[in-house]
Amino acid sequence: MGSTTTTPFGERINRWHWLWILPRLAFILFVGGVALLLWMSDRADKEEQRATLISDILWLEQNLRFHLARNEELLGRIDVAHTSDAKAFESYARTMFGFESGLRQMIWLGSDGAVRLAYPAITDPGLAGETGEAIPSQQSYRLARSLGKPVYSRAYPYFMNDWQFEVHVPVSREGRIAGVAVGIYRIRDLLGDSVPWWLAERYRISVNGDSGKVLGTRSKVESAVTGEGYQVAFDPPGWGLALHAEPYHAPRPLASLLLSGTLVILAVIVLWSLWILRRHVVRRQAVEEQLRQEHAFRKAMEDSLDTGMRARNLEGEIIYVNPAFCRMVGWSATELIGRRPPMPYWADDILDETRALSDSVLAGEGPEVGFELKLKRRTGDPIDVLIHEAPLIDARGQHFGWMGSLVDITERKQADERARQQQDRLQSTARLVAMGEMASSIAHELNQPLAAISSYCTGAANLLRSETPADEVLPALDKAVEQARRAGQIIRRIYSLARHGEDRFELIQFEERIDDALALLEADIRQNGIRVTLDLQARPLIEGDPVLLEQALFNLFRNAVESMRDTVPDQRQMGITLACADRYALLTISDRGCGIAANVADKLFDPLFTTKVEGLGMGLAICRSVVENHRGRLSFEANPAGGTVFHILLPMAPQ
Amino acid sequence: MSNATTHIVDDDPAVRDALQWLLRSRRVQSQTWESASDFLAFASRDLCGCLLLDVRMPGMSGIELFDRLRTRHCRLPVIFLTGHGDVPMAVQALKDGAFDFIEKPYDDNALVDKVLAAIAQDTKRCVRENSILLLEKKLSQLTLREREVMKRILAGTLNKVIADELGIAMRTVEVHRSRIFEKMKVRSAVELSQILGLLGD
Repeated sequence: MGSTTTTPFGERINRWHWLWILPRLAFILFVGGVALLLWMSDRADKEEQRATLISDILWLEQNLRFHLARNEELLGRIDVAHTSDAKAFESYARTMFGFESGLRQMIWLGSDGAVRLAYPAITDPGLAGETGEAIPSQQSYRLARSLGKPVYSRAYPYFMNDWQFEVHVPVSREGRIAGVAVGIYRIRDLLGDSVPWWLAERYRISVNGDSGKVLGTRSKVESAVTGEGYQVAFDPPGWGLALHAEPYHAPRPLASLLLSGTLVILAVIVLWSLWILRRHVVRRQAVEEQLRQEHAFRKAMEDSLDTGMRARNLEGEIIYVNPAFCRMVGWSATELIGRRPPMPYWADDILDETRALSDSVLAGEGPEVGFELKLKRRTGDPIDVLIHEAPLIDARGQHFGWMGSLVDITERKQADERARQQQDRLQSTARLVAMGEMASSIAHELNQPLAAISSYCTGAANLLRSETPADEVLPALDKAVEQARRAGQIIRRIYSLARHGEDRFELIQFEERIDDALALLEADIRQNGIRVTLDLQARPLIEGDPVLLEQALFNLFRNAVESMRDTVPDQRQMGITLACADRYALLTISDRGCGIAANVADKLFDPLFTTKVEGLGMGLAICRSVVENHRGRLSFEANPAGGTVFHILLPMAPQ
Repeated sequence: MSNATTHIVDDDPAVRDALQWLLRSRRVQSQTWESASDFLAFASRDLCGCLLLDVRMPGMSGIELFDRLRTRHCRLPVIFLTGHGDVPMAVQALKDGAFDFIEKPYDDNALVDKVLAAIAQDTKRCVRENSILLLEKKLSQLTLREREVMKRILAGTLNKVIADELGIAMRTVEVHRSRIFEKMKVRSAVELSQILGLLGD
């Protein structure tokens, strides 16, 4: 199942790098697009401003020209009534001034060019005019007279920073030039009168001389100008004058500011989030790499294990198996994963026990330490395993299944079994040797008095045959009797050595001895696959020696087990029934073994009689001796179903 | 067979006593020893009779005693008494020159018969050994010259030739001859040849 995780991670990382270029590109495009948009909108604004500026200043120039033209006309219409006296002239001048046309002084020059009337009066006639001449300008006067058309003079300074220019309008009466009406414009006042407030609000309007010198401005005091002015020729009055407008630094509109500000902030946020994302991904990659290595490490570990691993969820369904487990049982991972109990690898003969054990493990009540279990391979061969189960806990601490490790202990068990058999044989041999040695020493000891008796008797017979008097023969016979007694003593001594006294008798719960004797044979019973049915119909209390009784029961049970070596496995049954009848406890042991041949039945209880290759011939003899010692009876009969049935009848302890 | 004695070596007093009794009932003279080492201290080359030896004894065993007697050139015939398990050991002893072995429990008169057979054999041996001993004693009495003369007599050489060979007088040879016959207690050269034939065996 391990082959699904072999995707080349390197390529994936490379692909991710390609992916990383996209957001960067998008971001750069976005920022570039926004910048371009802002720049374009700014440019459009500026162009629009400029167009407005140009149209505004053209309008202003027209407006000024209109004022000047109207004033020319009004000055040209001045008549005798107005020029006759100062008062009329003054009122006419006042009327002219009232139009807010920038006129600040009116002078009436007679046909000789002399000042006749002036309002306001000329306070300082010596003040230099445009060409250092007196005011009004004689040159302009002459020009106007000769041309018969209004003529504008050069601008000249009047006081400091205040410039003014004149307009000479010839007035003709009755076909000849009656005089020249001179209007004096102060440039500052002209601008102040004729530039409307909304224009002055947006531009600094100035009048420049031909050398670029500013001759007068209409402006707010502190506002800075952009330097991107526009100028048009101011003609009339001409003479190189120009009308110049420069827009003030208007505060940018809030919406645009807000827009660009938002865009910048958004860009920063995008950049920041990209950076965060990238950092996150880098960290994630590092973690993933670590995880992958960890996973590969664990995978290699699991694959290299000899120990089978098998995980089940809480329903008992297999969710994972490692290769060692598959090798162990012979089914592949795909065949096993998803299987529910009963598993295919459960041994058939202990299916119920295995299921009970599996259920107890799933319920969390399984053995805390490892337990041994017989399973089967796909081939049907049995396999002994040592299983440890541990709960599977997920990342949230949730218990979601069980992980079991299985160690194949088949060989170890077989070796144990072989060692045990070896040990058994060794013990049996040792017993044989010891017994032979004992028998030999008993034989030798008994031989001595027997030999002596024999010799005495033979000697006596010899003497009697040769008709020796009886007196001489008698001592030999006495000695023979003596030796016979000695032999008897030897035998009594041996008997007392071998026999337990009755003082070891105690009250015994009979079924406990049965259990203990069966426990001693448990390995043999399991190994031979014998089913033991224990039927305790009563629980009698008897009086006896527990060790001897247990030995007798052990011998009988072992005979039953060994008699079934050649029985077909499914018939290997041993039945043990304990019952009570008439103050006697009756134990019945039935087997389905080879039975007892008629010709050996008579000798069955004889000491040293055996049908087994390695037997001593003492087992049943001991059994009978023990049972009889307990005032009981041991008998047997053929089992109708095949095999043998042994009966032990023992008196129950008096109540 | 008057001085032939059966020696019984067994650690069990009852067995010793019973065997002695049994042998006495057949008029066989016997002597008992309660251990192998006791008998070994007593044993010599010129014992005559037989030895009834128990194989299994505390201390020195019957087999060991048998071996030691062999090294001392005691030629007393040995009958081993063995228990059931000692048979192979006894057979080996038989190959090494023991007279017989008998297994316990034994047929007593058969045992006595074997003892008698052993005594008979040993008596013959004793007689022969005794006569050789006697002969050697007689020979040792002869002088050097008498031996030279006797060698030639046994070879059937005439007195005259002997005298020539030895360079002595005929008369002297005759004197030597009569002296030899006297010392060897024989009356003729033929008789001399006969008794010396024993030595040759």
